[in-house]
Amino acid sequence: MHPATPAPADQPAQLHGSLPAGGMNRRHLLRMLAGTAIAVPAAGLLAACGEEEPAADPNAPVNISFFWWGGEARAKLTEEALKLYMSKHPNVTITPTWQAFTGYYDKLATIAAGGNAPDIFQIDDNGLAEYAGRNVTLDLSKYTSSNKIDVSKHPESLTKYGQLGGKQVAIATGENTPAIIYDKTKLGELGVEAPAVGWTYEQIIAWGQGITTKSGGKYWGLMDPSSDYKALWLWLRAQGKEFYDGPKLAFTEGDLVGWFKLWVDARAKGAIPPADVCHEAVTGSVATQLVVTKKAAVSFMWSNQLSEMQKATKNDLAMTAYPGDPKGQWARASTYWAASRTTKSPDVVADIINFLVNDVEAGKILGVDRGLPNNLDVRKAVSDALTDQKMKDTVAFENEITPKFGPAPAPPPKGHSGLRNTLRDIAETVAYGKQTPEAAAKQFFTEATAALA
Amino acid sequence: MALTTASRPALTAAAPTPPPKRGRRKNYASRRQEGLAGYVFLSPWLIGLMAITAFPMLFSLYLSFTNYDILSSWEFVEWVGFDNYKKIFTGDPIFWKSVRVTLTYGLIAIPLKLAASLGVALLLNRERRGVGLFRSMFYLPSLLGGSVALALVWVAMFNGEGSFNAFLGLFGIEGKPWINDPDWALETLMVLTIWQFGAPMVIFLAGLKQVPSELYEAASVDGASKVRQFFHITLPMLSPVIFFNLVLETINGFQGFTSAFVISNGTGGPVYSTKLYTLHIYDKAFTDFQMGYSSALAWIFLAAIGLITVVFFSTGKFWVHYSDGEN
Repeated sequence: MHPATPAPADQPAQLHGSLPAGGMNRRHLLRMLAGTAIAVPAAGLLAACGEEEPAADPNAPVNISFFWWGGEARAKLTEEALKLYMSKHPNVTITPTWQAFTGYYDKLATIAAGGNAPDIFQIDDNGLAEYAGRNVTLDLSKYTSSNKIDVSKHPESLTKYGQLGGKQVAIATGENTPAIIYDKTKLGELGVEAPAVGWTYEQIIAWGQGITTKSGGKYWGLMDPSSDYKALWLWLRAQGKEFYDGPKLAFTEGDLVGWFKLWVDARAKGAIPPADVCHEAVTGSVATQLVVTKKAAVSFMWSNQLSEMQKATKNDLAMTAYPGDPKGQWARASTYWAASRTTKSPDVVADIINFLVNDVEAGKILGVDRGLPNNLDVRKAVSDALTDQKMKDTVAFENEITPKFGPAPAPPPKGHSGLRNTLRDIAETVAYGKQTPEAAAKQFFTEATAALA
Repeated sequence: MALTTASRPALTAAAPTPPPKRGRRKNYASRRQEGLAGYVFLSPWLIGLMAITAFPMLFSLYLSFTNYDILSSWEFVEWVGFDNYKKIFTGDPIFWKSVRVTLTYGLIAIPLKLAASLGVALLLNRERRGVGLFRSMFYLPSLLGGSVALALVWVAMFNGEGSFNAFLGLFGIEGKPWINDPDWALETLMVLTIWQFGAPMVIFLAGLKQVPSELYEAASVDGASKVRQFFHITLPMLSPVIFFNLVLETINGFQGFTSAFVISNGTGGPVYSTKLYTLHIYDKAFTDFQMGYSSALAWIFLAAIGLITVVFFSTGKFWVHYSDGEN
């Protein structure tokens, strides 16, 4: 699946393996001898390549496996950028593999468990600590400090958001921010003003209630974000609190009760749809979001999803920040490039990552598909060249909100990917009215303490 | 398959194997050689069993006593004794939830599936024109078996705006958001399971063909009603096949994963309503990276299914009638 550099030792072993179990006749013997005659020099050659340090001979052939998730459009862009690298470095062969997000982490975990983690792979902040904390990733500090991966033109907070335990464990592929995406056409029809940066939660819920009333009750104001960890995180940060403090939770049971109650009230007022309507959109793709299925005016998304979402609906979409003080936001890595600790060619791997994040040509190919380019020069060049209106909107939004960002927290700790599902499941028990906010918050803290321990 | 199970005792009882003449004359060494040849012929299967089934199973038993987390290298794997097992029973509320969901699912869906397959088999047992076509059609859903596509169709049919509610709407009935309703999601899943009754149905059909028609003729002459014939001839004569299907469907049923995973988008929701035990095992292994813990869960599962099977086998002698025993 991920053809890593072929292990030279396998070559002759396989040939000996074909030794017939029974007696040997002349034809067998001849065939085997012929095989060995070819295999032995070949194996020697392979062994020579494998053992040599790439640094010693910069032109020695190198094979790099490369893995990411995404759709066809992303695959096209990424493969094109990798081809550009290979044309500049003819000795490097990159074997790209990609798939949809569903199942990506399962596959990554499985191949990493087999000791064959791809040389370079895409990862997000939900998985970063799981992998870096278990020593799967290559420590890139050596390359960032020696400028082999040049981060001097990257926003500092974005670089920091790829550090764990003092190590640079990954490099952001681009900057991205949580954003609410709303249906502009529908708001126009109903004669409702557009939401704006800095609205409070109370404001947006009252606004949502207005939409539900005006539409006659079968179209709602907002999606229910109570089961979404990133909404909770921003809500906490807007109040000067945090989600994690190192490997522990930084908020209290009382905070969580407040969060659940906020949305129970919103539902009682009619600002958000019934739980079963929201359930369809909780884990689904862009296609199942309530703005796309035309059930609510607002979905809680990421800023780089605007263009993709626009393609799924005829109504005109726009976006703004999540409610609450924008100082709760920070420059987030949409995804990262991480490298495998077991890679045979760490220098080449670092060079490819550097190329992807800093080369203007590569940046132009990749566009804003994985968020705004980290390198501010590249970002400028890319934004100037953009033609997709919604991608331009994304850039404009990022430029507007960036000066209002608060400081970046550390990436979520080990155990986060499970905890996020725990929040999702427990928030749903409240949404469906199966549990009170108090009981749910208590259950969350019991499970979270066990999960993070 | 059912036929072999049903008739194997009959064969062994009826035909006391005459010792092969050739074998008696052979000396010990050549017989041993023959045995060796046997093993050589068996070896592809035997190696497969060892490498693909036995070794991974035993390895997972070992892992269940460790803190193995998939990603860390081996030097960090520690022996933790019975910690995983202790934690499962004392500190894992989702475990108990998933056990409840799985038992509800199994206890309702499996008997209903068997009843449905037996019922349809009885209908299709009569020889009439086009019966072959009907048999194929009823078997079709199980060909699609655990397929993801089928689960997706179920989602499209049984969500709030699904075709099933549109159908109910024709009669002025207001439907529910079936798969998005925590009180109905599991039931919707059960319907999918029951609907795929083709495999046991075919086995029942084969079993029904084996029931000697003289018995029915004799019963008719004696004036037994159709209902009475069913309970006093069909069911007892079919009991080995029922037993076979029961054991097989129980094991299969409890292992159900794909449809629950796809329908709930991997969440086991809404509100844990479709959190089958297998989904919990998966979550622990691949979301929480607790492969050791997950292995312990899997071994508890194996023990539970094993226990149920033992119960079936030990109660079988009270209700499974092998024809040779009666004749």
